Order: sequence, then structure tokens, then C-alpha cells
Amino acid sequence: MTIYESDLPGVGKKHEVELGDGSRLVIVTHNSGKREVFRRASADSDSEKLFELTDKLARQVGTLLEGAYFQPVQTEDIETLLGDNTLIEWVEVGADSDIAGKTLGESDLRQATGASVIAIERDDEVVASPGGDAMVEAGDTLVVIGPKAACRDFTALVKGT
Amino acid sequence: MAAALLEFGYLFVVLAVVGAVALRLGLSVIPLYVVGGVVAGPYVAGRVGLPYVPNGEVVTVLAELGIVLLLFFLGLEFSLDRLRSSGAKIGRAGVIDLAVNLPIGVAIGLVLGWSPVESLLLGGIVYISSSAIVTKTLIDLGWIADPESEPILGTLVFEDLAIAVYLAVVTSLVLGGDGGVAAIGRSLAIAFGFLGLLFVAVQYGTALFARVLDVENEEAFVLRALAVVVPISGAALALGVSEAVAAFFVGMGFSTSGHRERLEHLLVSVRDVFAAVFFFWIGLGTDPTLLAAAAVPLVIAVVLSTPSKVVSGYLGGRAYDLSAHRSLRVGVGLVPRGEFSLVIAALAAAGTTPVMREIIPAFAVGYVFVMSALGTVLMQRSDLVERLVFRGGAADSETSAEST
Repeated sequence: MTIYESDLPGVGKKHEVELGDGSRLVIVTHNSGKREVFRRASADSDSEKLFELTDKLARQVGTLLEGAYFQPVQTEDIETLLGDNTLIEWVEVGADSDIAGKTLGESDLRQATGASVIAIERDDEVVASPGGDAMVEAGDTLVVIGPKAACRDFTALVKGT
Repeated sequence: MAAALLEFGYLFVVLAVVGAVALRLGLSVIPLYVVGGVVAGPYVAGRVGLPYVPNGEVVTVLAELGIVLLLFFLGLEFSLDRLRSSGAKIGRAGVIDLAVNLPIGVAIGLVLGWSPVESLLLGGIVYISSSAIVTKTLIDLGWIADPESEPILGTLVFEDLAIAVYLAVVTSLVLGGDGGVAAIGRSLAIAFGFLGLLFVAVQYGTALFARVLDVENEEAFVLRALAVVVPISGAALALGVSEAVAAFFVGMGFSTSGHRERLEHLLVSVRDVFAAVFFFWIGLGTDPTLLAAAAVPLVIAVVLSTPSKVVSGYLGGRAYDLSAHRSLRVGVGLVPRGEFSLVIAALAAAGTTPVMREIIPAFAVGYVFVMSALGTVLMQRSDLVERLVFRGGAADSETSAEST
């Protein structure tokens, strides 16, 4: 990606961002702080104004685009984000998983990973707040809560990957 | 005292009203402020017996502050580094612009039988585009995001520097009087000596000025900035040197002081108020009946200098490697004339001959009025201009493909 910067004397600065499809995003930052955002469909065409933002609004939108305010977490599993770094994750127990056929207490997952099992889904049935003696079987889905890293370790352990 | 305050109240009411009209109609405020001054001044309202704003000393001083602040801002936003960094292109486009348009104005004056100094004044008025009107129209039309904005703004930067040198020379010529070559030489020497000293002071004294401005309080900051630029400009004028150029140099010095953005931010409304008074004051001094006497040069100048700007701008755009279509827009974009033509007219009004005192100011008012309106309309309808210019088939596919 190339970004072109040029001075606009008496106005501010202009940045052009190549968008990959041959078009360019043009951002004019006025000395007053106002941002005007344009799109130019091709090198020859005229810029089409998309919107303008005040300095403050531009910064807020900028943090959204940058991901500083909210960053989507990418994983293959279904998960829900709680607060900054805590996930609820659904992990299916594979047929060849080490923990299939053991109780939660035996498999000692919480000590090993830091993530806790808060429910076990088996067919249509849900075991809520399972104790240490709850049996885990292949095909169960474990609902797990914990820090992101703990959930990742947990998933790795259970799936045996 | 009460009368003076009332006159100023009247002045600001007129400015506010014509400003509102300009906003409503989408016109530039500059020519309308001038018209407001003409209508509310001694030559129109005064003649028909209505209350009017006399062209007194206080308005003149405040208008002078307007000139000083206009040029101070120009200096603030002018950067030698910028000129150096894209200097070759700006230089080429700027030299073409100067070499085409200044001589046309001078030639018109000479053909009309004016003196060389009078013709040079006309040349300057015809040459210089309006940074304020052009920049605002670029933003309004969205051209600011397109490649043509760079040669347009670059040419304006070059013009700023050219006008600083031009004003330095012409101020000496006008104020130096008619004492012959020796007197002119002496006043030129004083001018360039003073400006040279000022340039050195500003180059090496920026740290000192920056310390003067190093204050948290906004009120103190504004007052200190004015306490630097106004006395220096006043001293320049007292020496017969252009106060506008002195202000430009001080602005240029401050542009590297680290206070530039704060200066622009806090002083912009101060500048706008006094600049409005300046435009109004230009109107006050304009006798509309003199427009008749200025009609011939006015028509000639409009007819010749509109296409000449389009052509020089087109060539300037080509110097930036732009397509024919975009280069034409550069030309159209430089047509509006405004504040600096009026600054030159104000200088001419201080001259000694009837042409300088009466014809040139009236000419400038009419010319700015026509060119600001015509230039803005041409920019808005640049698609029509393109069709007109490229109709002969000289244009390739790129010109017809798009028009807004």
C-alpha cells in the first residue's frame, strides 16, 4: 500500500491512499483540524466527497478504524467477548480427545489452563455449573470462561491440537 | 466620540448584512464588503443625504491594520522550505504566470498613455490572483482533493513571494515621489536595506520572538504578537517602505517559531475583522462615478486578463505533468482576483497623480468585483469552459469522459 502526502499551502495537508481496486481514498486535513474524506474512482476522475469530520470526531473514528477501541478477535470457534480480555467460548470435545470419558476433576483443566467450564452441552441437555465429578464425553460441547490466552490453551488441550 | 462609535456601529452593521447576503448567495465576501463600503460611504449614502460613514482617519488606521494582518498571515503560511522542496515545479508554473500576466497589465497601462509607475500598478492588480477566494472555492468545489489543487496552490505561493518583492519596489516608486532617478534609487535602497535588515533579524531573531510569544495566557499571546508585527510595520511605513512587506517578513519569521498554529488559530478572527474593515474602507474611498472613467481600462483588462490567466495556468499545469483537462482547470482556478489587487490599489491611492489617486482605485474595485465573480462562476462551470476550449477536437478522450 502506498500513501501519498502533499502540502496544500494555506489549507493543510492531503493524503492519498491506494485502495487496491485502482481507486484512491483522499483525506484532506485542514489547518483547522477539519478532515474531508473523498474517493477518487480512477486516476482521471474527479474526487467525490464522502463526508467530513471535525478534528475530535476524526480522532474518535480513527481509533475505531485502528482497532484501539474495539478489536475483533479472530478464532474459528464461536465466542463472546466479556470486557477487554475475557472470553466465553464453546469448545467441542472430539472423539479422540484425551479428556473424553474423564470427569472434569480428573482432567484437571482449570489448573492446567486457567479457564473454567461453566456448562456442558450434551445433545439438548445442558449441565449448568458442573462440579468436579461431572463426566465429559466425546461430542460434548464445553462452555468455557477465562482470559483469552487461557481459552486458547484450553481449546488446544481439549481438541488435542 | 459618540459620533465615531456610532459610525463604527454602522460600519459593522453593513458588514454583517452584506456578509449574510454573500453567504446566502454563495458569493465571496470580499467584493461585497467593498460594495457595502461604497454604498454606505460618502459617495453614495452621503450624496443622497442618508447617514454615511465618513472616510476618516480612524477607519484608515484600522484598515491599515487589516493590510498588515493579511500580509502577516501570508508570511505565516509561506514557507521557504516548501518553496525549495517542490521549488522546480512551483518555480516554473510561477514564472510562467508572472511572465504572462504582469506584462499584460503593464501593456494596457502604457497603451492608455499612463506613466510607467501607473502601468506597473495596473500590472500588479491584473497579475495577482486572490488566495482567499481561490482557496475557498477549491474547498467548496472539492477540487482540493484533486491533482490540480497542487499547481494552483503552488502558484499562489509563488505569487505571494512575487507580490512581496513587487510591493517593496512599487511602494518606493509611489512614495518616493517624483524626485527623478536619484530619489527613486535612494528610496529603493532604503526599502531593500530595511527589508534586508528585517529579513536577517527575522531569520536569526526567531528564537527571541518565539520567547516573547512563549506565554500560556491567550490574551497576552495575541497582544504580544500584535506588539511585534504592528510596530515593525509602522516603522517600515514611516521609512517609506511597504508596511505590508514588513508584516509578510515578520509572519515568515514566526512561521518557524513553533507558534505558527497558535498564531493562526488565535489571530484569525482578529485578521478577519480588520480585513473586513479594509475592504469596506476601499469601498469608502471609491466614487462610483469614477468607475465610468475607469470603464475603458476595466473592459480591456477583463477581456485580456481572463484568457491570459487561463493560458498561463494551463501551461503551469502542464509543468506539473497534468493532463490537458486538469491543466485547463488550473488556469480557470487562478482567474479570481481579490484582496491583493485591492492592497495595490490602496497603495496607488497614496500616489501623487490623478490616475493613481482616482482611476486606479476605482478600476481595482470594478476589476476585483468582476474577476472574483467571473472567476468563481468559471470554476463552478468549468465543464462548459472545457467543452468550449476543447471543442476543436484538440482534446483526447480524457477530456470528455468526465465532468462534474
